[in-house]
Amino acid sequence: MRVTKGAQIVAGTALLALAVAACGGGATEGGNTAAGGSDTPVRMELGEPQELLVPTNTTESEGAEALAAVFEPLVNYDENKKAVEAAAESITSDDQKVWTIKLKAGNTWHNGEPVIAQNYVDAWNYAANQDNAQSAGYFFGRVDGFADLNPGEGKTVTAKGMKGLEAIDDTTLKVTLAAPFSQFKTLLGYTAFYPLPKAAFGPDGKVTQEFGEKPIGQGLFKLDKPYKKGTDQTIDLSVYDGYKGPKPKGWTKLQFKLYTSAETSFNDLQAENLDIHDSLPPSAIATAKTALGERYQDQPDAGIGYIGVPLQYNPEFKNADVRKAISMAIDRKTIAETVFSGTRAPADDFINPAIDGYRQGACAACAYNPAEAKKLYETAKGPAKLELGYNADGGHKEWIEAVANNLRANLGVEVTPKPFEKFQAILDELDAKKYTGLFRMGWAIDYPSAENYLTPIFGTGAIKTGSNYGGYSSKEFDDLLAKGDQAATPEEGLKFYQQADDILNKELPYIPVYFYRNNSGYSTKVKNVKINLLNQVEWSQVEKA
Amino acid sequence: MSDIQQPAQTLPPNAPSGPPLPRSTKKEGKPASLWSDAWHDLRRRPIFIVSAILIAVLVVMALWPSLFTAIDPNDPRTCELATARQGPSGGHIFGRDNLGCDVYARSIYGAANSLLIGISTTLATSLIGGMFGLAAGYFGGVTDTLASRLTEIFFAIPSILGALLIAATFRGGPLSSITLVIIALTVLGWPMTYRIMRAAVITAKSQDFVVAAKALGAGHMRIMMRHLLPNALAPVIVIATINLGGFIAAEAALSFLGVGVTSPDISWGLMISDARNRFLDAPLPLIFPAVFLSITVLAFIMLGDAVRDALDPKLR
Amino acid sequence: MGRYIIRRLIQAIPVLLGATLLIFAIVFALPGDPVAALAGEKRTDPTIVAILRERYHLNDPLLLQYWYYISGVIFRGDFGVTFADVPVSQLMAGKFQVTLNLALTALVFEAIIGVGLGLWAALRRGRAADTMILASTLLLISVPTLVTGFVLQLVLGVKVKQWTGVDIFPIAGISNGFRSYLLPGFVLAGISIAYLTRLTRTSLVETLRADYIRTATAKGLSRRRVIGRHGLRNALIPLVTYLGADLGNLMGGAVITETIFNLPGIGNQLFQSVYLREQPVVVGIVTVLVLIYIVANLVVDMMYAVLDPRIRYE
Repeated sequence: MRVTKGAQIVAGTALLALAVAACGGGATEGGNTAAGGSDTPVRMELGEPQELLVPTNTTESEGAEALAAVFEPLVNYDENKKAVEAAAESITSDDQKVWTIKLKAGNTWHNGEPVIAQNYVDAWNYAANQDNAQSAGYFFGRVDGFADLNPGEGKTVTAKGMKGLEAIDDTTLKVTLAAPFSQFKTLLGYTAFYPLPKAAFGPDGKVTQEFGEKPIGQGLFKLDKPYKKGTDQTIDLSVYDGYKGPKPKGWTKLQFKLYTSAETSFNDLQAENLDIHDSLPPSAIATAKTALGERYQDQPDAGIGYIGVPLQYNPEFKNADVRKAISMAIDRKTIAETVFSGTRAPADDFINPAIDGYRQGACAACAYNPAEAKKLYETAKGPAKLELGYNADGGHKEWIEAVANNLRANLGVEVTPKPFEKFQAILDELDAKKYTGLFRMGWAIDYPSAENYLTPIFGTGAIKTGSNYGGYSSKEFDDLLAKGDQAATPEEGLKFYQQADDILNKELPYIPVYFYRNNSGYSTKVKNVKINLLNQVEWSQVEKA
Repeated sequence: MSDIQQPAQTLPPNAPSGPPLPRSTKKEGKPASLWSDAWHDLRRRPIFIVSAILIAVLVVMALWPSLFTAIDPNDPRTCELATARQGPSGGHIFGRDNLGCDVYARSIYGAANSLLIGISTTLATSLIGGMFGLAAGYFGGVTDTLASRLTEIFFAIPSILGALLIAATFRGGPLSSITLVIIALTVLGWPMTYRIMRAAVITAKSQDFVVAAKALGAGHMRIMMRHLLPNALAPVIVIATINLGGFIAAEAALSFLGVGVTSPDISWGLMISDARNRFLDAPLPLIFPAVFLSITVLAFIMLGDAVRDALDPKLR
Repeated sequence: MGRYIIRRLIQAIPVLLGATLLIFAIVFALPGDPVAALAGEKRTDPTIVAILRERYHLNDPLLLQYWYYISGVIFRGDFGVTFADVPVSQLMAGKFQVTLNLALTALVFEAIIGVGLGLWAALRRGRAADTMILASTLLLISVPTLVTGFVLQLVLGVKVKQWTGVDIFPIAGISNGFRSYLLPGFVLAGISIAYLTRLTRTSLVETLRADYIRTATAKGLSRRRVIGRHGLRNALIPLVTYLGADLGNLMGGAVITETIFNLPGIGNQLFQSVYLREQPVVVGIVTVLVLIYIVANLVVDMMYAVLDPRIRYE
């Protein structure tokens, strides 16, 4: 399943996986070789990365998964969903505004050069500079001086870099933010924050095509040969001897096999032509449970699916009771079980259970109550006709139709599901006031903090620049977020964020419908497969069975 | 070959379509026109009778679907998500689909759109291809060269990919999904009729009665409409009936690819597309509309076969 | 002959240009911004969009864009790059290989089954076997690929595996090498098999009526020899040309089969590229398919001349 970070959530249904996931296809090599010996690779399922393998230009799940094997992030996330130092020795701040990142000494790039703080500065400035048109640029929006690298369309960038970014010495990086942000450390585990070696840049200062095909990282694995996108059906890697962190026991080779459809890859998993599959499609779940038994895993995934409400465009939804009534008329449990076969869980909060801060049942109006819904809808005089917009490229049709049937049957209203080519088309029509109906919306986190479910989607500031497509705006909510950002510790910040979350649960600016689940399976040839918060396999823990 | 290629292909010119049948005996004394002769011939062909009955049933199904089922699939209350993908049971003889809706009722209601698209596309391609073919065949020269080059361009583009592109491009616009399918199929389908018409007109043009009409000073319009058209019509009708089934199959293919008919409209291709993800667990919601689709296409292709044999004895 | 080929090739130029321009224009009209389509569900940053649009010439008028494209193809053999900076030719090479494998498998099925059944029917003309074969070809023509694909996938792919425990016909992907193409190849061949059966039957029946066959029989040659030496040889001409022309049709029409069986071929790729608004890929694939169509037709006409000495091209 391909997920665009911070944004697009694409259900892994077969046809649509085809439509969206770029090409690829089953690998012809590496067929039936047993994974017994230490030389045979561990084979991992992957969709084709959307772009070349450049961290600063990778914001979707498949490319990120490949890069995660090649690079070591500054922080990892432990079992308690907390950020812990990995490539960083320490990450500290007194005022939540100026952050000092100490790097572990002695780490080297795959070409043997030492990893230095300047590598981070180079990479981050490169990502943030609008001239480079890197998709991960927005991650640096909080860094002081980001605006200098992004003067806007048609304007020339004059600044060399962000003024908030400074390499004090080879192992010390100082980051000054434009405003305090208590969650900054949690951001740093993401693809966008990987460093880039000197060798990545060509004479023109741009990351080279050669690097994109064979990235030089500082992580556990290095690429054996360049990956020719569009042609190659595998990405082959082996353990980098100079890597200082934990290494897997008993095996050294990793192979990503590229698939266009989750069905094909599931077949290969069953045939033991594939060892690890971390995005099983709904259609495979029943079979996977019986066929794989213990080797089937199901764990929370940080994504959320909503029904978006166009508050700023359509006054019919102004009354919160209308939104609550719609919410109560949706039978989330049956949808999760039947449409998604358990690859989703019914949503009951605006914060996902995978993330610290989730509270079970926090959204009272998320419980299914058709009788109450109908009463509430009638007294609140909800509109007699509803439209449900969705993007037809993402496998959303079925659950949207199911929701439409729920609303028709339980509220007695006319509901028209309306397919759009792309999610962007919904936004365009909302902006142009051509479409004023409800719309589907999904959110995959940019960084694992409760705050990420709030500010970018519901903050007033996000109406113009972020993902607040409905245009919800509440001063009380914004104030609580600001308090959370400035809190002395992440824990203290969370308290404010949860208060902000309470407001959302009361007002329902969007209607949360489901939480994503991560459904994975592995072959008999491997064991101890752990999948982390970012849906990436913890390679050092995987063992051969 | 894909479904949509079908319309672009006639049967090989002299492929026999069935066991030799006894020729109809004509009543003496009456001069039999091509048409009455053909009708006489048709009536006695079992293949025609079977296809005509099937088509009659389909037309009734399309016009009055409620005669066949008490369930109205447009009413959401007939769907029950919790019962999704359940097999056949008392009230639901074909079982339920992924959203818990009745497969039988939806299959019945799907007939209308398939027929609508098949018939409209056939009419449109016949009209456009026929007109161009008539003009090109009659005038010859530059008109003919230009029109023929143009059709070559369309022939060179694989039909299903071309239709896919057109349908995908103009989706979400002011046109309904059904209109769009008709247009996409027509754009890729008309050159076939063009070729047939042109060839027929060129043959007819050199015949004595046309030469005579010209000598008598008849205008272009009159010659084309009164003399050429009636004589060139038979092969166009043959190709039209054969293509009709192909267009119905093509609609299903486009809907299956997600660029054809869209919900809440019902179509067999759409049902097949919707049932696809769970096909291996629950094949019935896919199989039933597929059977309806196949029978419909079969009926029209059989009809086309019979009409060809009757109208075009040369091709037998 | 040489001059004929050159003339045909020159005639093909307007067809090629016309077809690619037509496709280019349609793709140009595709709704939604190709750059925005890359952005997923994030509201796109107008600055980045502007820079990318500039880079890929998306702000230029249609004809100018077309010129950039077609001149690259003609003068440098360069089909452009995708929005991920992957050369389109590199992308297409792998996909065409898959579709070619599929089409060739289909062609083999067609040749063996179609010609075989056609011969059988012709030799048993008017008898039960003939009637049966003709009836089943009608059925084969009528059942859409969409339906045969799924039904065979279920029956031959899944059920056979359940009953026998052996995965004889893989139902998805190409990871099983040659075997992966068996089922989809047969499905793709379906309708063509029916046409070829009919064509073979007619062709042989016609040939067997010819004078020289009668002469051969009269000479006292054995039936086997008459049919084998004289009948078949001449009946084969239209079949070979049909097969030749069909290769192009099969490749262009494989999208449904590729979708059902999850084969990463060109049909599949085109389908995705339409969604991603990848103009260079869409136009590139169609251009190559048009070329295949043109060349296949030319080759077929040449084959006529080679196989049938009566035909001469000047």
